[in-house]
Amino acid sequence: MTTAATDAPPILAVDGVTKTFRARAGLHRVRISAVDNVSFTVPAGSTLGIVGESGCGKSTLARVIVGLHRADAGTVRFAGTPLPRRGKRSRTIVEHTQMVFQDPYSALNPRASVGESIGFPLKVQGVPRPDIDRRVNKVLEDVGLHPAYSTHYPHQLSGGQRQRVNIARALVLEPKLVVLDEAVSALDKSIQAQIVNLLLDLQSGYDLTYVFISHDLNVVEYMSDQVAVMYLGQVVEFCDASMLYQAPLHPYSQMLLSSIPTLDPTQRAENVLADSGDIPSPLNPPSGCRFRTRCPFAMDICADKAPAMIEARPQHSVSCHLFDREYGDPARIAATKGE
Amino acid sequence: MTELTADDLRERWYQSEVSVPPISYWSVVRRRFLRNKLGVAALIVLILIIAAAVFAPWICPYDPLVGKPADRLQNIFSFSTGHPLGTDEQGRDMLTRVLYGGRLSLLAGFVPTLVAAVVGTIIGTWAGLVRGAVGAILMRIMDMLYAFPAILLAIAVGSSLGAGLSNTIIAVSIVFIPPVSRIAESETRKIVTSEYVEAARLSGASRIRILRTQLLPNVLNEIIVYSSGLVGVAMIIAASLSFLGLGSRPPTPEWGYMLESLQGDIYVVPAVVAVPGIFIFLTSVTFNTASDALREAMDTRLG
Repeated sequence: MTTAATDAPPILAVDGVTKTFRARAGLHRVRISAVDNVSFTVPAGSTLGIVGESGCGKSTLARVIVGLHRADAGTVRFAGTPLPRRGKRSRTIVEHTQMVFQDPYSALNPRASVGESIGFPLKVQGVPRPDIDRRVNKVLEDVGLHPAYSTHYPHQLSGGQRQRVNIARALVLEPKLVVLDEAVSALDKSIQAQIVNLLLDLQSGYDLTYVFISHDLNVVEYMSDQVAVMYLGQVVEFCDASMLYQAPLHPYSQMLLSSIPTLDPTQRAENVLADSGDIPSPLNPPSGCRFRTRCPFAMDICADKAPAMIEARPQHSVSCHLFDREYGDPARIAATKGE
Repeated sequence: MTELTADDLRERWYQSEVSVPPISYWSVVRRRFLRNKLGVAALIVLILIIAAAVFAPWICPYDPLVGKPADRLQNIFSFSTGHPLGTDEQGRDMLTRVLYGGRLSLLAGFVPTLVAAVVGTIIGTWAGLVRGAVGAILMRIMDMLYAFPAILLAIAVGSSLGAGLSNTIIAVSIVFIPPVSRIAESETRKIVTSEYVEAARLSGASRIRILRTQLLPNVLNEIIVYSSGLVGVAMIIAASLSFLGLGSRPPTPEWGYMLESLQGDIYVVPAVVAVPGIFIFLTSVTFNTASDALREAMDTRLG
C-alpha cells in the first residue's frame, strides 16, 4: 500500500504554507499566525485526516487548500499545478477541488431551492440547462436523496439531509479533491455514522481524495489513511492513521488520544495525561516549541529552539525535541527504532 | 418470485412520493402572515384607504378645489346636505378632499421609502462589500446624517429646497437613506462571510454573480421588512412639513396642509378639523401594524 502511494504523483502537495491574519486588539495592530509553515502531501485516492483542538488553524488550512484564502508564504500544488497567489483560479482547479462546510444550516442559501444550490456551480461553469437538471438529479441520487428534493428549500430539510445536499453540491462538478471541514461535527451521532459511510461510498464511487478535518478522533481514525495532528497552526505529527492510534509519539497527540472518553469503567481516566495549562493565544505563541507550556516533558531547549520535523520512524514524522538525537530522550528514540 | 435488480429498485424509488411538497420561503411568509389576525385586519383597512384614494375621482361627486361658500363649515354626518364628513372653511366637501389628499399623502409615504430603499441598499451593500477606507467614509457620512433627528433634518432639507410636494419627497428620501444603508451594510457584512457565499466563490462565480444570486436576495429581505415600517413615518413627516407650510401648495389638498388650513375653525367644527388628523393616524397605525406582522412572518430563522 505504501509503495503504491509513493509511486503515484501526490494530488495535493502543501509546501511551507503560512497564513497570517491582521487584526486589531484595542489600538494595536496584531498579527495572528493561523497556519505556520505547514507541509504535507496527499496521494490520490487516499484520505488525510487533520485533527486538533478548535482554533488550531484547521479551518484556515482548509480554506487555503481550496483557494478561499491566499497563503502568505508557501505553495499549494494541485496535481502539480500551483494555486495562483492572486487572481482567478484556473478552471481545472475550480472543477477539481471542492469543499464541504461545517454548518449544514448556514452553508445553503436560504432563498435558493436545493436544485438551484446544487446546480449553481454548473451554471457558473456554463453547462447547458438540460445537462444541469440531469446531473443534479444524478448527484442527488448518489447522496441518497430522492430527486424530487431538488424543488425543495433548505428550511424543509433536516440537518442530515442538508449535509447530503452540501455534499452533492461539492460533488456535482465531479472533483478530484474534496476538503471536508468538520463536515460531520454538527450532526447527531446517528446521522454522523450515515454521512461518514456515505462519504466512504462516494470516495470509491467518484474516485475522490479527501482532506478530512475534524476534532473528533474516532471519526478521523475511521476515515483516514494518514493523519496530521495540528497544534496552534503547526503540524506536530504526521503518520499513518493506524500508527498514530497505536503509538503516538508527540506528547500533544498522546494527550489528545488519552482524552478520548472510554466506555470501559475500569479504564476510566487512568491514563489521562495531566494537562498543564490553557491553550496559549495564537496572538502571542510561546517561544521555541509552541506546545511547551502544556507539555509534561518540557525541557530547557524547548523554550529556545523550535523543533523541526524529524522522521522518527519510517513514514512517521514528529516535531518534538524528545526525538532529537542531540537533546532528546535516548529511551524514547530507542523505543521508536526498536519496533 | 422474481429477483429485483438495482434498476427496478431505482424505478420504484423514483415512483415513490416525497411526502412533503416543496414550499418556497415566500409561501411560508404568506401563511404566517395570514395567521396574524391583527396584521390581516390592518392590511385590509390599508387596502381600503389606498383604493379609495386611488379611485377618488370616480367615487367623489364634488370638486376637491372649488366649494360652495354657502355650505361652509358644516359638521360631520351632514347626510341631508350630502356631506358625510362635513365641509371646510370654503364649503368644499371634506370626504372628497380627504380622499384626494390621501393620494398625495400616500405618494409622499411610498415614493421616499422606495427611493431610500433603492439608494440605501446600493450604498450599504457597496460599503459592506468594499469595506476599507471607502466603506468607512460612506458609513460615517451616513452616521452623520443619522445623528440628526429625522423631522429636523427633513425641515432643514425641505426649507432649503423650497416648498412643494416634490421637494418634500426629496427631503424625506434623504432622511431615510442612512438607516436603510446601515441595515444593508451590516447584513452584507454578515452574508459575505457566510458559508454559502464561500461555496459560491469556490465554484468560481464572479463577484457580480455572487452579488446578484446570493447576496441581494438575502439583503433585500431585511430591507423589505425595515422599509415597510418607514412608509407610515414618511407620511407623518410629509404631513408635518405640509402643516408647517413646506409641503403641498394651496389649494391642492394634502392631509397635513388640510389640518393647518382648518385649525382656525377648531372651536366651530372640531369634528371636521379632526378628520384629516384621524386619517393620518389611521393610515400610519395600519401601516405599522401590517409592517410588524410582516416582520414577524418574515423573521423565520429558516436558514
